[in-house]
Amino acid sequence: MTAPARRRPAPALRVGSALRWTWIALVVAVVVFPVWVTVATAVSPPGRTGLAAMFPAPGDLTLDNVRTALAGFPLVRQFGVSVMVTALQTTAQVVLAAAAAYALVFPTWRGRTVAFVLILGTLAIPGESSVIPNFQLVSSLGLRNTVLGIVLPFLAVGYPVFLLRQAFGQLPREVWEAARLDGASHLRCLTRVVLPMAAPQVVTAALWCALAAWNGYFWPLLITDTPEQRTVQVGLAQLAAGESTTPAVVYAGTLVVLLPTLLLVLVGQRFLVRGLATRAR
Amino acid sequence: MRSPSSPTAGRDLRAGVVFVFPCLALLAVFSYWPVVRSAWLSVHGSDLVGNATGFLGLSNYADLLTDPDLRSVLLTTLTIAALVVVMATGGALLAALPLRRASQRGGRVVTVLLSLPFAYSAAAASAAFAGLLAPSVGQLNALLADLGVTGPPWLESQGWAVLSIAVTTAWYEFGFAFLVVLAALSRVDRSVLEAASLDGAGEWRSAWSIVVPAIRPSLLFLVVTQTIAGLQVFTQVQVLTRGGPSGATTTLVYELYQRAFGTGLPQYGQASTIALTLLLLVVLVTAVQMRLTRDRA
Repeated sequence: MTAPARRRPAPALRVGSALRWTWIALVVAVVVFPVWVTVATAVSPPGRTGLAAMFPAPGDLTLDNVRTALAGFPLVRQFGVSVMVTALQTTAQVVLAAAAAYALVFPTWRGRTVAFVLILGTLAIPGESSVIPNFQLVSSLGLRNTVLGIVLPFLAVGYPVFLLRQAFGQLPREVWEAARLDGASHLRCLTRVVLPMAAPQVVTAALWCALAAWNGYFWPLLITDTPEQRTVQVGLAQLAAGESTTPAVVYAGTLVVLLPTLLLVLVGQRFLVRGLATRAR
Repeated sequence: MRSPSSPTAGRDLRAGVVFVFPCLALLAVFSYWPVVRSAWLSVHGSDLVGNATGFLGLSNYADLLTDPDLRSVLLTTLTIAALVVVMATGGALLAALPLRRASQRGGRVVTVLLSLPFAYSAAAASAAFAGLLAPSVGQLNALLADLGVTGPPWLESQGWAVLSIAVTTAWYEFGFAFLVVLAALSRVDRSVLEAASLDGAGEWRSAWSIVVPAIRPSLLFLVVTQTIAGLQVFTQVQVLTRGGPSGATTTLVYELYQRAFGTGLPQYGQASTIALTLLLLVVLVTAVQMRLTRDRA
Protein backbone atom coordinates (compact mmCIF):
# COMPACT_ATOMS: atom_id res chain seq x y z
CA MET A 1 0.00 0.00 0.00
CA THR A 2 2.84 2.36 -0.65
CA ALA A 3 1.54 5.41 -2.46
CA PRO A 4 3.80 6.82 -5.11
CA ALA A 5 5.58 10.10 -4.39
CA ARG A 6 3.18 12.41 -6.15
CA ARG A 7 3.59 15.74 -7.84
CA ARG A 8 1.08 18.47 -6.96
CA PRO A 9 -2.14 17.18 -8.54
CA ALA A 10 -3.65 18.95 -11.53
CA PRO A 11 -7.25 20.21 -11.05
CA ALA A 12 -8.62 17.36 -13.15
CA LEU A 13 -6.89 14.95 -10.85
CA ARG A 14 -8.44 16.62 -7.80
CA VAL A 15 -11.92 16.02 -9.17
CA GLY A 16 -10.77 12.48 -9.79
CA SER A 17 -9.53 12.29 -6.22
CA ALA A 18 -12.86 13.53 -4.81
CA LEU A 19 -14.70 10.97 -6.90
CA ARG A 20 -12.31 8.28 -5.78
CA TRP A 21 -12.79 9.03 -2.10
CA THR A 22 -16.57 9.17 -2.50
CA TRP A 23 -16.41 5.73 -4.07
CA ILE A 24 -14.07 4.41 -1.35
CA ALA A 25 -16.35 5.83 1.36
CA LEU A 26 -19.33 4.07 -0.23
CA VAL A 27 -17.50 0.74 -0.39
CA VAL A 28 -16.36 1.09 3.23
CA ALA A 29 -19.92 1.90 4.34
CA VAL A 30 -21.34 -1.21 2.65
CA VAL A 31 -18.58 -3.57 3.84
CA VAL A 32 -18.40 -2.28 7.41
CA PHE A 33 -22.19 -2.08 7.88
CA PRO A 34 -22.63 -5.65 9.20
CA VAL A 35 -19.64 -5.19 11.54
CA TRP A 36 -21.02 -1.90 12.82
CA VAL A 37 -24.45 -3.43 13.40
CA THR A 38 -22.85 -6.40 15.21
CA VAL A 39 -21.00 -4.18 17.65
CA ALA A 40 -23.57 -1.37 18.05
CA THR A 41 -26.56 -3.67 18.60
CA ALA A 42 -24.61 -5.92 20.96
CA VAL A 43 -23.83 -3.04 23.33
CA SER A 44 -27.18 -1.24 22.99
CA PRO A 45 -29.88 -1.63 25.66
CA PRO A 46 -31.97 -4.78 24.98
CA GLY A 47 -35.03 -4.26 22.82
CA ARG A 48 -33.63 -1.46 20.69
CA THR A 49 -34.02 -1.89 16.93
CA GLY A 50 -33.46 0.07 13.75
CA LEU A 51 -31.76 3.46 13.88
CA ALA A 52 -31.84 3.58 17.68
CA ALA A 53 -29.70 0.44 17.88
CA MET A 54 -27.34 1.66 15.18
CA PHE A 55 -26.30 4.75 17.07
CA PRO A 56 -26.55 4.20 20.83
CA ALA A 57 -25.67 7.22 22.98
CA PRO A 58 -22.40 6.68 24.90
CA GLY A 59 -24.32 6.75 28.21
CA ASP A 60 -26.62 3.92 27.04
CA LEU A 61 -23.85 1.40 26.38
CA THR A 62 -24.45 -1.80 28.31
CA LEU A 63 -23.30 -5.41 28.42
CA ASP A 64 -26.82 -6.74 29.13
CA ASN A 65 -27.05 -8.50 25.75
CA VAL A 66 -23.63 -10.07 26.22
CA ARG A 67 -24.73 -11.36 29.64
CA THR A 68 -27.91 -12.85 28.19
CA ALA A 69 -25.94 -14.54 25.40
CA LEU A 70 -23.43 -15.97 27.85
CA ALA A 71 -26.15 -17.14 30.24
CA GLY A 72 -28.60 -18.61 27.72
CA PHE A 73 -26.09 -20.87 26.02
CA PRO A 74 -22.98 -22.48 27.46
CA LEU A 75 -20.89 -20.11 25.36
CA VAL A 76 -18.18 -19.77 28.01
CA ARG A 77 -17.79 -23.52 28.23
CA GLN A 78 -17.84 -23.78 24.41
CA PHE A 79 -15.24 -21.04 24.21
CA GLY A 80 -13.02 -23.28 26.33
CA VAL A 81 -13.61 -26.24 24.00
CA SER A 82 -12.68 -24.07 21.02
CA VAL A 83 -9.50 -22.88 22.73
CA MET A 84 -8.49 -26.49 23.42
CA VAL A 85 -9.33 -27.59 19.87
CA THR A 86 -7.41 -24.66 18.38
CA ALA A 87 -4.33 -25.16 20.58
CA LEU A 88 -4.18 -28.93 20.00
CA GLN A 89 -4.96 -28.82 16.29
CA THR A 90 -2.56 -25.96 15.50
CA THR A 91 0.33 -27.49 17.45
CA ALA A 92 -0.13 -30.91 15.91
CA GLN A 93 -0.55 -29.56 12.38
CA VAL A 94 2.57 -27.38 12.59
CA VAL A 95 4.68 -30.21 14.05
CA LEU A 96 3.52 -32.69 11.40
CA ALA A 97 3.90 -30.15 8.59
CA ALA A 98 7.36 -29.01 9.72
CA ALA A 99 8.61 -32.61 9.81
CA ALA A 100 7.13 -33.40 6.41
CA ALA A 101 8.38 -30.19 4.81
CA TYR A 102 11.86 -30.88 6.22
CA ALA A 103 11.85 -34.34 4.66
CA LEU A 104 10.72 -32.89 1.33
CA VAL A 105 13.41 -30.19 1.21
CA PHE A 106 16.66 -31.27 2.90
CA PRO A 107 17.43 -34.99 2.79
CA THR A 108 17.79 -36.29 -0.77
CA TRP A 109 15.91 -39.56 -1.12
CA ARG A 110 14.04 -41.58 -3.71
CA GLY A 111 10.30 -41.05 -3.50
CA ARG A 112 10.53 -37.47 -2.35
CA THR A 113 8.65 -36.18 -5.40
CA VAL A 114 5.97 -38.85 -5.10
CA ALA A 115 5.46 -37.96 -1.44
CA PHE A 116 5.09 -34.29 -2.34
CA VAL A 117 2.57 -34.99 -5.11
CA LEU A 118 0.53 -37.16 -2.72
CA ILE A 119 0.48 -34.34 -0.16
CA LEU A 120 -0.30 -31.68 -2.75
CA GLY A 121 -3.12 -33.80 -4.18
CA THR A 122 -5.08 -33.63 -0.93
CA LEU A 123 -5.46 -29.86 -1.39
CA ALA A 124 -8.09 -30.67 -4.01
CA ILE A 125 -10.14 -32.91 -1.67
CA PRO A 126 -12.81 -30.85 0.09
CA GLY A 127 -13.28 -31.89 3.74
CA GLU A 128 -17.06 -32.03 3.26
CA SER A 129 -16.74 -34.91 0.82
CA SER A 130 -14.92 -37.05 3.40
CA VAL A 131 -17.27 -36.62 6.37
CA ILE A 132 -19.24 -39.85 6.10
CA PRO A 133 -16.29 -42.30 6.22
CA ASN A 134 -14.54 -40.08 8.77
CA PHE A 135 -17.68 -40.00 10.91
CA GLN A 136 -17.90 -43.79 10.83
CA LEU A 137 -14.20 -44.16 11.64
CA VAL A 138 -14.05 -41.63 14.47
CA SER A 139 -17.30 -43.03 15.93
CA SER A 140 -15.88 -46.56 15.85
CA LEU A 141 -12.82 -45.31 17.75
CA GLY A 142 -15.21 -44.10 20.46
CA LEU A 143 -14.14 -40.50 19.99
CA ARG A 144 -17.52 -38.93 19.28
CA ASN A 145 -18.25 -35.90 21.40
CA THR A 146 -14.59 -35.45 22.40
CA VAL A 147 -11.99 -32.78 21.67
CA LEU A 148 -9.73 -35.45 20.16
CA GLY A 149 -12.56 -36.52 17.84
CA ILE A 150 -12.99 -32.95 16.63
CA VAL A 151 -9.24 -32.57 15.97
CA LEU A 152 -8.30 -35.98 14.54
CA PRO A 153 -9.38 -35.70 10.86
CA PHE A 154 -7.85 -32.24 10.67
CA LEU A 155 -4.41 -33.69 11.36
CA ALA A 156 -4.51 -34.84 7.75
CA VAL A 157 -3.50 -31.56 6.26
CA GLY A 158 -1.67 -30.44 3.15
CA TYR A 159 -1.62 -26.67 3.12
CA PRO A 160 0.91 -25.95 5.91
CA VAL A 161 3.23 -28.59 4.42
CA PHE A 162 3.02 -26.74 1.14
CA LEU A 163 3.63 -23.39 2.87
CA LEU A 164 6.60 -24.62 4.94
CA ARG A 165 8.14 -26.53 2.04
CA GLN A 166 8.28 -23.29 0.12
CA ALA A 167 9.77 -21.45 3.12
CA PHE A 168 12.40 -24.13 3.79
CA GLY A 169 13.33 -24.21 0.12
CA GLN A 170 14.40 -20.59 0.27
CA LEU A 171 16.83 -21.17 3.17
CA PRO A 172 20.57 -21.42 2.44
CA ARG A 173 21.26 -25.13 2.04
CA GLU A 174 24.92 -24.70 3.08
CA VAL A 175 23.90 -23.97 6.67
CA TRP A 176 22.04 -27.26 6.86
CA GLU A 177 24.91 -29.14 5.21
CA ALA A 178 27.38 -27.62 7.67
CA ALA A 179 25.21 -28.69 10.60
CA ARG A 180 24.99 -32.22 9.18
CA LEU A 181 28.77 -32.41 8.70
CA ASP A 182 29.13 -31.33 12.33
CA GLY A 183 27.20 -34.47 13.16
CA ALA A 184 23.83 -32.91 14.06
CA SER A 185 20.92 -35.33 13.81
CA HIS A 186 18.03 -34.59 11.46
CA LEU A 187 15.78 -33.80 14.42
CA ARG A 188 18.34 -31.36 15.75
CA CYS A 189 18.80 -29.81 12.30
CA LEU A 190 15.05 -29.24 12.09
CA THR A 191 14.54 -27.78 15.55
CA ARG A 192 17.81 -25.88 15.99
CA VAL A 193 18.73 -24.80 12.45
CA VAL A 194 15.78 -24.84 10.06
CA LEU A 195 12.87 -23.73 12.27
CA PRO A 196 14.65 -20.70 13.78
CA MET A 197 15.70 -19.51 10.33
CA ALA A 198 12.16 -19.87 8.96
CA ALA A 199 10.48 -18.47 12.10
CA PRO A 200 8.32 -15.81 10.33
CA GLN A 201 6.91 -18.38 7.90
CA VAL A 202 6.31 -20.84 10.73
CA VAL A 203 4.29 -18.14 12.50
CA THR A 204 2.36 -17.56 9.29
CA ALA A 205 1.60 -21.27 8.96
CA ALA A 206 0.57 -21.47 12.63
CA LEU A 207 -1.77 -18.48 12.30
CA TRP A 208 -3.46 -19.97 9.25
CA CYS A 209 -3.87 -23.28 11.07
CA ALA A 210 -5.24 -21.52 14.15
CA LEU A 211 -7.69 -19.48 12.09
CA ALA A 212 -9.00 -22.60 10.35
CA ALA A 213 -9.22 -24.50 13.66
CA TRP A 214 -11.09 -21.73 15.46
CA ASN A 215 -13.48 -21.19 12.53
CA GLY A 216 -14.24 -24.88 11.82
CA TYR A 217 -17.94 -25.69 11.66
CA PHE A 218 -19.19 -28.64 9.63
CA TRP A 219 -17.11 -31.43 11.18
CA PRO A 220 -17.37 -30.18 14.81
CA LEU A 221 -21.15 -29.98 14.30
CA LEU A 222 -21.34 -33.60 13.13
CA ILE A 223 -19.05 -35.20 15.67
CA THR A 224 -20.40 -33.53 18.84
CA ASP A 225 -23.78 -34.21 20.40
CA THR A 226 -24.08 -32.31 23.68
CA PRO A 227 -24.01 -28.52 24.07
CA GLU A 228 -21.12 -28.80 26.57
CA GLN A 229 -18.84 -30.51 24.05
CA ARG A 230 -19.61 -28.25 21.10
CA THR A 231 -17.24 -25.61 19.79
CA VAL A 232 -18.15 -21.97 20.09
CA GLN A 233 -18.90 -21.72 16.33
CA VAL A 234 -21.52 -24.45 16.56
CA GLY A 235 -22.88 -22.86 19.73
CA LEU A 236 -23.18 -19.50 18.02
CA ALA A 237 -24.96 -20.97 14.99
CA GLN A 238 -27.48 -22.63 17.30
CA LEU A 239 -27.93 -19.39 19.19
CA ALA A 240 -28.58 -17.60 15.88
CA ALA A 241 -30.94 -20.27 14.56
CA GLY A 242 -32.92 -20.33 17.82
CA GLU A 243 -36.46 -19.03 17.32
CA SER A 244 -36.59 -17.16 20.60
CA THR A 245 -33.25 -15.34 20.57
CA THR A 246 -33.42 -11.65 19.73
CA PRO A 247 -30.97 -10.17 17.19
CA ALA A 248 -29.33 -8.16 20.01
CA VAL A 249 -28.41 -11.37 21.86
CA VAL A 250 -27.27 -13.04 18.62
CA TYR A 251 -25.00 -10.05 17.99
CA ALA A 252 -23.63 -10.19 21.51
CA GLY A 253 -22.76 -13.87 20.96
CA THR A 254 -21.21 -13.05 17.58
CA LEU A 255 -19.04 -10.42 19.22
CA VAL A 256 -17.73 -12.93 21.77
CA VAL A 257 -16.90 -15.52 19.08
CA LEU A 258 -15.39 -12.87 16.83
CA LEU A 259 -12.99 -11.25 19.31
CA PRO A 260 -10.02 -13.64 18.92
CA THR A 261 -10.09 -13.61 15.11
CA LEU A 262 -10.70 -9.87 15.06
CA LEU A 263 -7.54 -9.40 17.12
CA LEU A 264 -5.69 -11.76 14.80
CA VAL A 265 -6.74 -9.82 11.69
CA LEU A 266 -5.88 -6.47 13.29
CA VAL A 267 -2.56 -7.49 14.88
CA GLY A 268 -1.38 -10.40 12.73
CA GLN A 269 -2.36 -9.09 9.32
CA ARG A 270 1.28 -8.84 8.23
CA PHE A 271 1.72 -12.57 8.75
CA LEU A 272 -1.59 -13.56 7.21
CA VAL A 273 -0.89 -11.56 4.06
CA ARG A 274 2.44 -13.34 3.69
CA GLY A 275 0.60 -16.65 3.71
CA LEU A 276 -1.95 -15.65 1.13
CA ALA A 277 0.71 -14.16 -1.14
CA THR A 278 2.38 -17.58 -1.17
CA ARG A 279 -0.92 -19.23 -1.92
CA ALA A 280 -1.73 -16.87 -4.77
CA ARG A 281 1.47 -17.58 -6.65
CA MET B 1 23.66 -31.84 -3.33
CA ARG B 2 24.60 -35.41 -2.50
CA SER B 3 24.51 -38.00 -5.25
CA PRO B 4 22.34 -41.04 -4.49
CA SER B 5 25.49 -43.20 -4.39
CA SER B 6 27.11 -41.20 -1.57
CA PRO B 7 27.55 -43.04 1.72
CA THR B 8 24.84 -40.97 3.45
CA ALA B 9 22.15 -41.69 0.83
CA GLY B 10 20.79 -44.65 2.78
CA ARG B 11 20.51 -42.60 5.95
CA ASP B 12 18.84 -39.77 4.05
CA LEU B 13 16.23 -42.19 2.73
CA ARG B 14 15.48 -43.35 6.24
CA ALA B 15 15.25 -39.79 7.57
CA GLY B 16 13.03 -38.72 4.68
CA VAL B 17 10.61 -41.59 5.17
CA VAL B 18 10.51 -41.23 8.97
CA PHE B 19 9.81 -37.49 8.85
CA VAL B 20 7.21 -37.62 6.11
CA PHE B 21 5.45 -40.78 7.28
CA PRO B 22 3.17 -39.35 10.02
CA CYS B 23 1.85 -36.71 7.65
CA LEU B 24 1.31 -39.15 4.77
CA ALA B 25 -0.25 -41.81 7.00
CA LEU B 26 -2.82 -39.33 8.36
CA LEU B 27 -3.58 -38.11 4.83
CA ALA B 28 -4.05 -41.68 3.70
CA VAL B 29 -6.49 -42.46 6.53
CA PHE B 30 -8.49 -39.21 6.63
CA SER B 31 -8.24 -37.88 3.04
CA TYR B 32 -7.58 -40.67 0.53
CA TRP B 33 -9.35 -43.59 2.19
CA PRO B 34 -12.62 -41.62 2.62
CA VAL B 35 -12.67 -40.97 -1.13
CA VAL B 36 -12.36 -44.69 -1.86
CA ARG B 37 -14.92 -45.56 0.81
CA SER B 38 -17.37 -42.89 -0.41
CA ALA B 39 -17.04 -44.14 -3.97
CA TRP B 40 -17.87 -47.64 -2.73
CA LEU B 41 -20.83 -46.42 -0.64
CA SER B 42 -22.16 -44.38 -3.55
CA VAL B 43 -22.64 -47.43 -5.78
CA HIS B 44 -24.41 -49.43 -3.05
CA GLY B 45 -27.79 -49.17 -1.41
CA SER B 46 -28.00 -48.53 2.33
CA ASP B 47 -30.09 -50.18 5.04
CA LEU B 48 -31.98 -48.58 7.92
CA VAL B 49 -28.87 -47.76 9.97
CA GLY B 50 -26.85 -46.65 6.97
CA ASN B 51 -24.82 -49.78 6.26
CA ALA B 52 -24.17 -50.64 2.64
CA THR B 53 -26.43 -53.26 1.01
CA GLY B 54 -26.64 -54.46 -2.59
CA PHE B 55 -24.70 -53.14 -5.53
CA LEU B 56 -26.61 -50.42 -7.36
CA GLY B 57 -24.20 -49.35 -10.06
CA LEU B 58 -24.45 -45.75 -11.10
CA SER B 59 -28.14 -45.31 -10.36
CA ASN B 60 -27.46 -42.87 -7.51
CA TYR B 61 -25.53 -40.72 -9.97
CA ALA B 62 -28.30 -40.97 -12.54
CA ASP B 63 -30.72 -39.72 -9.85
CA LEU B 64 -28.59 -36.62 -9.48
CA LEU B 65 -29.32 -35.70 -13.07
CA THR B 66 -32.90 -36.95 -13.39
CA ASP B 67 -34.47 -36.31 -9.98
CA PRO B 68 -35.87 -32.76 -10.22
CA ASP B 69 -35.12 -32.05 -6.53
CA LEU B 70 -31.49 -33.09 -6.81
CA ARG B 71 -31.12 -31.28 -10.09
CA SER B 72 -32.34 -28.11 -8.45
CA VAL B 73 -29.84 -28.65 -5.57
CA LEU B 74 -27.04 -28.78 -8.13
CA LEU B 75 -28.36 -25.71 -9.93
CA THR B 76 -28.78 -23.73 -6.68
CA THR B 77 -25.22 -24.56 -5.64
CA LEU B 78 -23.77 -23.49 -8.98
CA THR B 79 -25.85 -20.29 -8.95
CA ILE B 80 -24.64 -19.38 -5.46
CA ALA B 81 -21.02 -20.18 -6.41
CA ALA B 82 -21.26 -17.95 -9.50
CA LEU B 83 -22.82 -15.09 -7.52
CA VAL B 84 -20.15 -15.39 -4.82
CA VAL B 85 -17.30 -15.26 -7.36
CA VAL B 86 -18.74 -12.21 -9.11
CA MET B 87 -19.54 -10.30 -5.93
CA ALA B 88 -16.44 -11.15 -3.88
CA THR B 89 -13.75 -10.98 -6.58
CA GLY B 90 -15.42 -8.14 -8.50
CA GLY B 91 -16.03 -6.25 -5.27
CA ALA B 92 -12.44 -6.72 -4.15
CA LEU B 93 -11.17 -5.38 -7.46
CA LEU B 94 -13.51 -2.36 -7.36
CA ALA B 95 -12.48 -1.63 -3.77
CA ALA B 96 -8.73 -2.12 -4.17
CA LEU B 97 -8.13 -0.42 -7.53
CA PRO B 98 -8.96 3.14 -6.36
CA LEU B 99 -6.76 2.61 -3.29
CA ARG B 100 -3.78 2.19 -5.58
CA ARG B 101 -3.57 5.98 -5.80
CA ALA B 102 -4.95 6.88 -2.35
CA SER B 103 -2.75 8.60 0.21
CA GLN B 104 -0.79 6.34 2.50
CA ARG B 105 -2.44 7.02 5.85
CA GLY B 106 -5.99 7.12 4.53
CA GLY B 107 -5.26 4.02 2.52
CA ARG B 108 -4.08 2.12 5.58
CA VAL B 109 -7.22 2.89 7.63
CA VAL B 110 -9.42 1.88 4.71
CA THR B 111 -7.41 -1.32 4.28
CA VAL B 112 -8.01 -2.35 7.89
CA LEU B 113 -11.73 -1.52 7.66
CA LEU B 114 -12.20 -3.45 4.42
CA SER B 115 -10.36 -6.51 5.74
CA LEU B 116 -12.67 -6.79 8.78
CA PRO B 117 -15.00 -9.36 7.16
CA PHE B 118 -11.99 -11.68 6.99
CA ALA B 119 -12.22 -12.00 10.78
CA TYR B 120 -15.71 -13.55 10.47
CA SER B 121 -16.11 -17.31 10.33
CA ALA B 122 -18.97 -18.78 8.34
CA ALA B 123 -20.90 -19.14 11.62
CA ALA B 124 -20.19 -15.57 12.76
CA ALA B 125 -21.12 -14.12 9.35
CA SER B 126 -24.29 -16.23 9.32
CA ALA B 127 -25.19 -15.04 12.81
CA ALA B 128 -24.55 -11.41 11.84
CA PHE B 129 -26.70 -11.71 8.73
CA ALA B 130 -29.37 -13.65 10.64
CA GLY B 131 -29.67 -10.63 12.92
CA LEU B 132 -29.87 -8.38 9.86
CA LEU B 133 -32.26 -10.41 7.72
CA ALA B 134 -34.43 -12.44 10.13
CA PRO B 135 -38.15 -12.28 9.34
CA SER B 136 -40.02 -9.60 11.35
CA VAL B 137 -37.14 -8.87 13.80
CA GLY B 138 -34.30 -8.31 11.30
CA GLN B 139 -32.29 -5.15 11.88
CA LEU B 140 -31.99 -4.28 8.21
CA ASN B 141 -35.72 -3.99 7.57
CA ALA B 142 -36.20 -2.24 10.93
CA LEU B 143 -33.63 0.29 9.76
CA LEU B 144 -35.28 0.64 6.36
CA ALA B 145 -38.65 1.11 8.08
CA ASP B 146 -37.16 3.94 10.15
CA LEU B 147 -36.16 5.51 6.83
CA GLY B 148 -39.66 5.00 5.44
CA VAL B 149 -38.84 2.10 3.13
CA THR B 150 -40.43 -1.36 3.20
CA GLY B 151 -37.64 -3.93 2.87
CA PRO B 152 -37.97 -7.12 0.82
CA PRO B 153 -38.69 -10.55 2.37
CA TRP B 154 -34.98 -11.44 2.52
CA LEU B 155 -35.31 -15.04 3.64
CA GLU B 156 -38.95 -15.83 2.87
CA SER B 157 -39.06 -15.48 -0.89
CA GLN B 158 -37.14 -18.00 -3.00
CA GLY B 159 -35.20 -15.53 -5.13
CA TRP B 160 -34.31 -13.21 -2.24
CA ALA B 161 -33.25 -16.16 -0.08
CA VAL B 162 -30.76 -17.42 -2.70
CA LEU B 163 -29.41 -13.89 -3.03
CA SER B 164 -29.18 -13.49 0.77
CA ILE B 165 -27.14 -16.71 1.08
CA ALA B 166 -24.85 -15.56 -1.74
CA VAL B 167 -24.42 -12.07 -0.25
CA THR B 168 -23.60 -13.48 3.21
CA THR B 169 -20.97 -15.77 1.66
CA ALA B 170 -19.57 -13.10 -0.64
CA TRP B 171 -19.38 -10.63 2.24
CA TYR B 172 -17.08 -12.72 4.39
CA GLU B 173 -15.11 -13.96 1.38
CA PHE B 174 -14.63 -10.32 0.37
CA GLY B 175 -12.17 -9.62 3.21
CA PHE B 176 -9.81 -12.33 1.98
CA ALA B 177 -10.25 -11.40 -1.69
CA PHE B 178 -9.55 -7.75 -0.93
CA LEU B 179 -6.28 -8.59 0.85
CA VAL B 180 -5.18 -10.82 -2.04
CA VAL B 181 -5.93 -8.17 -4.67
CA LEU B 182 -4.21 -5.49 -2.61
CA ALA B 183 -1.09 -7.63 -2.13
CA ALA B 184 -1.04 -8.35 -5.87
CA LEU B 185 -1.43 -4.67 -6.75
CA SER B 186 1.51 -3.72 -4.55
CA ARG B 187 3.69 -6.03 -6.65
CA VAL B 188 2.74 -4.48 -10.00
CA ASP B 189 5.73 -2.72 -11.51
CA ARG B 190 5.21 0.99 -10.96
CA SER B 191 7.20 2.03 -14.03
CA VAL B 192 4.70 0.20 -16.22
CA LEU B 193 1.88 2.23 -14.70
CA GLU B 194 3.72 5.50 -15.08
CA ALA B 195 4.54 4.75 -18.69
CA ALA B 196 0.85 4.16 -19.26
CA SER B 197 -0.20 7.49 -17.78
CA LEU B 198 2.44 9.32 -19.84
CA ASP B 199 0.93 7.82 -22.95
CA GLY B 200 -2.29 9.52 -21.93
CA ALA B 201 -4.10 6.35 -20.97
CA GLY B 202 -7.04 7.28 -18.73
CA GLU B 203 -7.36 6.00 -15.19
CA TRP B 204 -9.89 3.29 -15.98
CA ARG B 205 -8.25 2.32 -19.21
CA SER B 206 -4.91 1.81 -17.49
CA ALA B 207 -6.64 -0.14 -14.75
CA TRP B 208 -8.37 -2.49 -17.16
CA SER B 209 -5.72 -2.88 -19.79
CA ILE B 210 -2.59 -2.89 -17.63
CA VAL B 211 -3.31 -3.53 -13.96
CA VAL B 212 -5.87 -6.30 -14.33
CA PRO B 213 -3.72 -8.39 -16.71
CA ALA B 214 -0.73 -7.82 -14.43
CA ILE B 215 -2.55 -9.34 -11.44
CA ARG B 216 -4.25 -12.05 -13.51
CA PRO B 217 -2.65 -14.96 -11.55
CA SER B 218 -4.08 -13.61 -8.27
CA LEU B 219 -7.49 -13.05 -9.84
CA LEU B 220 -7.48 -16.58 -11.22
CA PHE B 221 -6.56 -17.88 -7.77
CA LEU B 222 -9.47 -15.92 -6.26
CA VAL B 223 -11.97 -17.12 -8.84
CA VAL B 224 -10.92 -20.70 -8.10
CA THR B 225 -10.94 -20.47 -4.29
CA GLN B 226 -14.23 -18.57 -4.31
CA THR B 227 -15.85 -21.06 -6.68
CA ILE B 228 -14.77 -23.84 -4.34
CA ALA B 229 -16.04 -21.91 -1.30
CA GLY B 230 -19.35 -21.38 -3.13
CA LEU B 231 -19.65 -25.09 -3.86
CA GLN B 232 -19.13 -25.87 -0.14
CA VAL B 233 -21.74 -23.45 1.25
CA PHE B 234 -23.42 -24.98 4.29
CA THR B 235 -23.35 -22.96 7.51
CA GLN B 236 -25.16 -19.98 5.99
CA VAL B 237 -27.94 -22.24 4.73
CA GLN B 238 -28.31 -24.05 8.04
CA VAL B 239 -28.48 -20.83 10.06
CA LEU B 240 -30.41 -18.53 7.71
CA THR B 241 -32.90 -20.64 5.76
CA ARG B 242 -32.60 -24.35 6.60
CA GLY B 243 -32.64 -24.95 2.88
CA GLY B 244 -35.99 -23.21 2.34
CA PRO B 245 -38.27 -21.65 1.37
CA SER B 246 -39.48 -24.87 -0.33
CA GLY B 247 -35.93 -26.11 -0.93
CA ALA B 248 -34.85 -23.01 -2.84
CA THR B 249 -31.58 -22.64 -0.93
CA THR B 250 -30.71 -26.33 -0.46
CA THR B 251 -27.09 -26.68 -1.55
CA LEU B 252 -25.03 -29.82 -2.19
CA VAL B 253 -23.46 -29.91 1.28
CA TYR B 254 -26.78 -29.12 2.99
CA GLU B 255 -28.44 -31.96 1.08
CA LEU B 256 -25.53 -34.26 2.02
CA TYR B 257 -26.00 -33.26 5.66
CA GLN B 258 -29.76 -33.85 5.53
CA ARG B 259 -29.38 -37.30 3.98
CA ALA B 260 -26.50 -38.55 6.13
CA PHE B 261 -27.00 -36.74 9.43
CA GLY B 262 -30.50 -35.22 9.24
CA THR B 263 -33.52 -36.14 11.30
CA GLY B 264 -34.54 -38.96 8.95
CA LEU B 265 -32.93 -42.36 8.52
CA PRO B 266 -29.35 -42.09 7.25
CA GLN B 267 -28.99 -42.55 3.50
CA TYR B 268 -25.25 -42.96 3.24
CA GLY B 269 -25.41 -44.20 -0.36
CA GLN B 270 -27.08 -41.11 -1.79
CA ALA B 271 -25.16 -38.81 0.56
CA SER B 272 -21.88 -40.33 -0.64
CA THR B 273 -22.96 -39.74 -4.23
CA ILE B 274 -23.35 -36.05 -3.38
CA ALA B 275 -19.96 -36.07 -1.61
CA LEU B 276 -18.26 -37.51 -4.67
CA THR B 277 -20.04 -35.07 -6.95
CA LEU B 278 -18.69 -32.23 -4.80
CA LEU B 279 -15.23 -33.76 -4.95
CA LEU B 280 -15.41 -34.09 -8.75
CA LEU B 281 -16.51 -30.47 -9.12
CA VAL B 282 -13.65 -29.24 -6.89
CA VAL B 283 -11.08 -31.40 -8.71
CA LEU B 284 -12.41 -30.10 -12.03
CA VAL B 285 -12.09 -26.47 -10.93
CA THR B 286 -8.58 -27.13 -9.59
CA ALA B 287 -7.56 -28.88 -12.83
CA VAL B 288 -8.77 -25.91 -14.88
CA GLN B 289 -6.75 -23.61 -12.63
CA MET B 290 -3.59 -25.71 -13.04
CA ARG B 291 -4.10 -25.84 -16.80
CA LEU B 292 -4.52 -22.07 -17.07
CA THR B 293 -1.53 -21.40 -14.79
CA ARG B 294 0.65 -23.72 -16.83
CA ASP B 295 -0.41 -22.18 -20.14
CA ARG B 296 0.71 -18.82 -18.87
CA ALA B 297 4.13 -19.98 -17.78
